[in-house]
Amino acid sequence: MTDVVVQEGAAAAPTNAWRAKALANFKTGDSTFRILAQLAAATVLLLLGGIILSLIIGAWPAITTYGVDFLTTQRWAPNARPNPVLGGLGPIYGTLISSVIALLIAVPVGLGIAIFLTELCPQWLRRPVGVAVELLAGIPSIIYGMWGFFVLGPLLADQIEPAIAEAVENIPILNVIFAGPASNLSLFNASLVLAIMILPFVTAIARDVFNTVPPVLKEAAYGLGCTTWEVVRRVVIPYTRVGVIGGIMLALGRALGETMAVTFVIGNSFRISGSIFAPGTTISAAIASEFAESRDLHQSALILLGLLLFVLTFFVLAAARLMLMRLERKQGA
Amino acid sequence: MNPFYASRRRTSKVAMALCTGATIFGLAWLTMILFTLFWNGFAGLTVALFTEMTPPPNAQGGGLLNAIVGSLILTILGIGVGAPIGILAGTYMAEYGRYSKITSVIRFINDILLSAPSIIIGLFVYGAVVVPMGGFSGLAGALALAVIALPVVVRTTEDMLLLVPTQLREAAVALGMPQSYMIRKITWRAARVGLVTGLLLAVARVSGETAPLLFTALSNQFWSVDLLKTMANLPVTINNFINNPDPNWKRLAWAGALLITLAVLSLNIVARSLSGGRNPK
Amino acid sequence: MNEMSSPQTTAKNAEGVKIAVRNLNFFYGSAKPSLKNINLSLRTNEVTAFIGPSGCGKSTLLRVLNRMYELYPNQRAEGEVLLDGENILAPGLDLNLLRARVGMVFQKPTPFPMTIYENIAFGIRLYESLPKSEMDGRVEQALRGAALWPEVQDKLDASGLSLSGGQQQRLCIARTVAIKPEVILFDEPCSALDPISTAKVEELIDELSARYTIAIVTHNMQQAARVSKKTVFMYLGEMVEMDDTDKIFTSPKQQRTQDYITGRFG
Repeated sequence: MTDVVVQEGAAAAPTNAWRAKALANFKTGDSTFRILAQLAAATVLLLLGGIILSLIIGAWPAITTYGVDFLTTQRWAPNARPNPVLGGLGPIYGTLISSVIALLIAVPVGLGIAIFLTELCPQWLRRPVGVAVELLAGIPSIIYGMWGFFVLGPLLADQIEPAIAEAVENIPILNVIFAGPASNLSLFNASLVLAIMILPFVTAIARDVFNTVPPVLKEAAYGLGCTTWEVVRRVVIPYTRVGVIGGIMLALGRALGETMAVTFVIGNSFRISGSIFAPGTTISAAIASEFAESRDLHQSALILLGLLLFVLTFFVLAAARLMLMRLERKQGA
Repeated sequence: MNPFYASRRRTSKVAMALCTGATIFGLAWLTMILFTLFWNGFAGLTVALFTEMTPPPNAQGGGLLNAIVGSLILTILGIGVGAPIGILAGTYMAEYGRYSKITSVIRFINDILLSAPSIIIGLFVYGAVVVPMGGFSGLAGALALAVIALPVVVRTTEDMLLLVPTQLREAAVALGMPQSYMIRKITWRAARVGLVTGLLLAVARVSGETAPLLFTALSNQFWSVDLLKTMANLPVTINNFINNPDPNWKRLAWAGALLITLAVLSLNIVARSLSGGRNPK
Repeated sequence: MNEMSSPQTTAKNAEGVKIAVRNLNFFYGSAKPSLKNINLSLRTNEVTAFIGPSGCGKSTLLRVLNRMYELYPNQRAEGEVLLDGENILAPGLDLNLLRARVGMVFQKPTPFPMTIYENIAFGIRLYESLPKSEMDGRVEQALRGAALWPEVQDKLDASGLSLSGGQQQRLCIARTVAIKPEVILFDEPCSALDPISTAKVEELIDELSARYTIAIVTHNMQQAARVSKKTVFMYLGEMVEMDDTDKIFTSPKQQRTQDYITGRFG
């Protein structure tokens, strides 16, 4: 079948010597490449260390000046004499409240969309809707800020906020939360914009996580005569619970750190008000608004706020990652 | 019909209706936001946008040329620094360090960096670059973008390289191939589509970021290609213009916003179609 | 780095023996050994087949011969494997050089993501820098040696992945042969192929044995009977029996071999 007659045996012996030589040429390149790869991997770790170090160094003057009181002082007066009076309570409050409200809105809606996509949506519609949701996630955050300022703000101020305020006028606690003059710029506005921003994240992760449920499990439930809602509630959600929580925490992490969408619409007030219709601020909005012109203790206080934000998001993201890892292990193992 | 079953069915119908409502709700916001963007931005999409520089306040006309060019420079430089490091790091994690514990630590840290607030990255680069340099600069802005791009590239590189079947590697090694050669010529090549997708996603991510540029590159009213000085860029320019009552500036800001959104959306769409629908989260 | 012809070799192999395995034990992790005290010889320019039920260690043994297991953590071998008298398990041995001498063809065809021409040339270029005309000749020679030339000579620029399964496997064989090894290890080369491709590959192995020492792992006893001169029957990590192929299949000495051959278990 073949027509080759080659004296392989004779060629083999000298082969090894020059083969060794040829391979030797690769030696330095091989170890250089390996070292470069190791250095690059180390960069990831160094980066984290660098960020933490840089934040601590920058925040140090503020830490030593204000100490723990920073967390409880509301007053923010960078130009006070002789020393600026700076307290982080306002931004911290704003960050937490806006993120929580955003989650309260985005999680049910996001889960609802994910359920729709995995259970109700006709097959041909699934990809387009899914893609549309994911594209929402890609829109730069400054766009949300602009939209929130020009469209949502006036809508809230002119119609929605007065309507809510009137509706809860006589209800004890609610009429404090939803009180006050309707405003374009408010904590409420920021929370809504945040909610819409993190909605695609919650949806995408929830959908991916829902899709990991083995079809046999769902079929078994349907086979018993369960309604769609019951399958979701009794099979899908319990099975994916850890993953869903992980996804929610990822979205929370995103909401906590979001800057541009919030800065435009929150009003930049460091005072804490009982009403969410009043302006406020978040850590990232405060930094974004004031950092460029700040100096000395004022700047250090802003960096301290940044450090607090970083620590907070670090823990939230780490917890989320651990939960998602558990889900992956459960699947893969 | 069994009354018990009837109520169960009702519950399910209500629940499913709510879910459908949620979907319409979500899509409605998307439509509204995109509509606002197009409505306000479209008028500003003229040729002048790409040929003229940013105008002073309360003037007429003008464009975003310096901002666009500045953004391109910053993005190219940022990706140029962040992507190679990211690819090498991902290569380490998938190849040399695949079975080592430190790789899982790196992966964990990388995922945290991936979702970290970008304004913190800005603060970091401020302290690490702007302060020692004595002023804001395009270089600092590019480095901030590099730090943002790095985790994206690391993640996608590792994911894509892990998808390459081990047998392919074994076949290469069986010929006596040194490891770095095998990685560069065989594994990278086999994963090339995925690696490019990762780069596109990194570019998309970086293009939309404003916060890290706010106090690194700042912005610039004029033609600026000097990396050692402040550099004009689209996001910060938009931010400055939109906060000003000047209607001409507002017009340009919306047009710029539309431009960025179109760029980011197209990059995402291209990346998605390249990877055939697989989701490299 | 041990040069392949250093004076530190242990006793030279007996006449006609290409690879001598002595007291080989292999461990995955620190558990019980997966290969227990293997002693056998592969003769030059002969085909030796390894048969046995799943998990008996035949693939593991094959992968010791080119130290493929080094790619993975927690796998180690103890004992001696002498290639032309030199112990290839010695630490500090140049593994790349070893693998150039001892080639391997895998169960699943794995063409590189390149053209057919490049698949072959790629390996050659590792060791030799040849002008184009000479490289063309070497590529043709390798493809002829794998009985693939007539089928691909007009489409050398097509991707290696565009070939059929059987052709891909023959491409992998050509790729291995192109770098002029001394030993070729086949790890269940036909299990992913249809019967016609299988027949072609078996014919190929027969021809290749004139120039190379061949070891083939197969779960197909008839294939072992067709292709090999000597057969090794393994069971649970141990070598049960090794003999001339026709003797193993007609009158094995061990009861267990007999049971396996007649299909009592497997």
